[in-house]
Amino acid sequence: MQFYGYQRPDGRVGARNYVAIIPSVGCVNNLCSHLEHLIRGTKVVRHDQGCLHPPADTVQVVRTLINLGRNPNVGGALVVGLGCEMAKAEEIYEGIKASGKPVDMVVVHQVGGMINAIAAGTRMLVDLVSKVSEAKREPFGLDKLVFGTKCGSSDTTSGLSSNLVVGEVCRLMTQNGGRFIQGEICDIMGGEYALKKLAVDPAQGEKIVDCVRDLYMRGYHVGADTRGCQMTAGNVAGGLTTLVEKALGANAKGADVPIQATLDYAQLVPEKPGRYIMNFPGHGFENLTGSAAGGAIVHLFTTGRGAPNGNPLMPTIKLCGNAKTMKTMSEHIDLDVSSVIAETESVEAAAERLYGLAVEVASGKLTKCEILNFEGMEILINGPVM
Amino acid sequence: MSKLAKQIHESDNVVTAVSDCQAGDTVTVKFRGRASTYRCLHDVPFGHKIAIRHIPEGQKVIKYGEAIGSASADIAVGEWVHTHNVRDDYKCLGKDGAPLPGQEEGKQCQSRGGAS
Repeated sequence: MQFYGYQRPDGRVGARNYVAIIPSVGCVNNLCSHLEHLIRGTKVVRHDQGCLHPPADTVQVVRTLINLGRNPNVGGALVVGLGCEMAKAEEIYEGIKASGKPVDMVVVHQVGGMINAIAAGTRMLVDLVSKVSEAKREPFGLDKLVFGTKCGSSDTTSGLSSNLVVGEVCRLMTQNGGRFIQGEICDIMGGEYALKKLAVDPAQGEKIVDCVRDLYMRGYHVGADTRGCQMTAGNVAGGLTTLVEKALGANAKGADVPIQATLDYAQLVPEKPGRYIMNFPGHGFENLTGSAAGGAIVHLFTTGRGAPNGNPLMPTIKLCGNAKTMKTMSEHIDLDVSSVIAETESVEAAAERLYGLAVEVASGKLTKCEILNFEGMEILINGPVM
Repeated sequence: MSKLAKQIHESDNVVTAVSDCQAGDTVTVKFRGRASTYRCLHDVPFGHKIAIRHIPEGQKVIKYGEAIGSASADIAVGEWVHTHNVRDDYKCLGKDGAPLPGQEEGKQCQSRGGAS
């Protein structure tokens, strides 16, 4: 099997061919949205970060924005800065440019206000879109695929159907040389020792446990037992008995596929095929951003009750095992796997369908969140905000 | 209508009902092409668990092939398995193997904040 994608100068292959408009700081979000509305073929990655951070967060924000610009779904980028922010537009511009993609930059203070910035940015985008639109889809092997995953608005069906289906796809796609990014440290809590056993390198397994410890202690310092934040009354009413049970259901999105490494937030996934754990939260906005910055070109998002959100740069496939949700929320869901619950289809057969759909999406088929423009994003910061 | 429950791993001693089951119902579990039946001893709603092996008090409750907790009472085949007869053993452990602070007995999985 092959998929049809866009070759990028760094050798990676994209599923989309956007010109990304990247604000270095939240202050210029609206300006960037104006540009997106004016120029076809562009996608803005609105976020509210970029200033008044401790240094580690500034580094994380800059890394995230560079790696979003380098995501293979992006053919070129315009970086928009204000001029006084901590996340420097110049640094983001240089970081993306190093990948060989066409990139341009406009800084509001340098051009004298929003109106001039829109005029300059519009002209730059006309050239960028014109150049980027020359790219043609070509056939590539499935080893070029990088998938991210998460579960959202989960229910009992998630751990019994959709997560198992994604786990089987993880097994298939990594066997084919692909790469798979999983995270949601809050959901891993309780299942960290089960995951640790799957790490190829024990030090990388210990890093998974460290991520959970760090999350627990950060909760402790603000008076929360994050074990309790994870395990809700609704979970218990739905039949989940312990945090470990819930975590194992979430971990199932990677089945028992060996884990190659544990990555920092928005860190570029290494070349080696296989499954990776990234230190990202469960919250969809920061989570999807982390996957996209890591290099995922398609995201597999399981839901029970119907989480509709997607990422602006990375097509996000929703799959659901709850037959009731399929009746009420089908406009948001790309794949119905309630057949696994009804036992009219095996997990393996449903996984073949999902893998096939993911290949189609990587080749250009639009997902429901793309069609509905149900997209948003944020960058994870650790704080404190100054 | 036949009642169904799902087994995920071969070593599991519990299965998850994917039908609302009543006490006395026969529940069918298909696993790797083999069907087994169990008599359900309690009303077990969709999404809740039923024991398919005797789980003596203190022994591990296994799902996904991993221990999800331990039996806080003797659990017979066909019994509903939930918070009333399973203890959540999970503690977030420090590098030294000791539980990190704030996980005192009796406060498991409860928020430390707010009015409580």
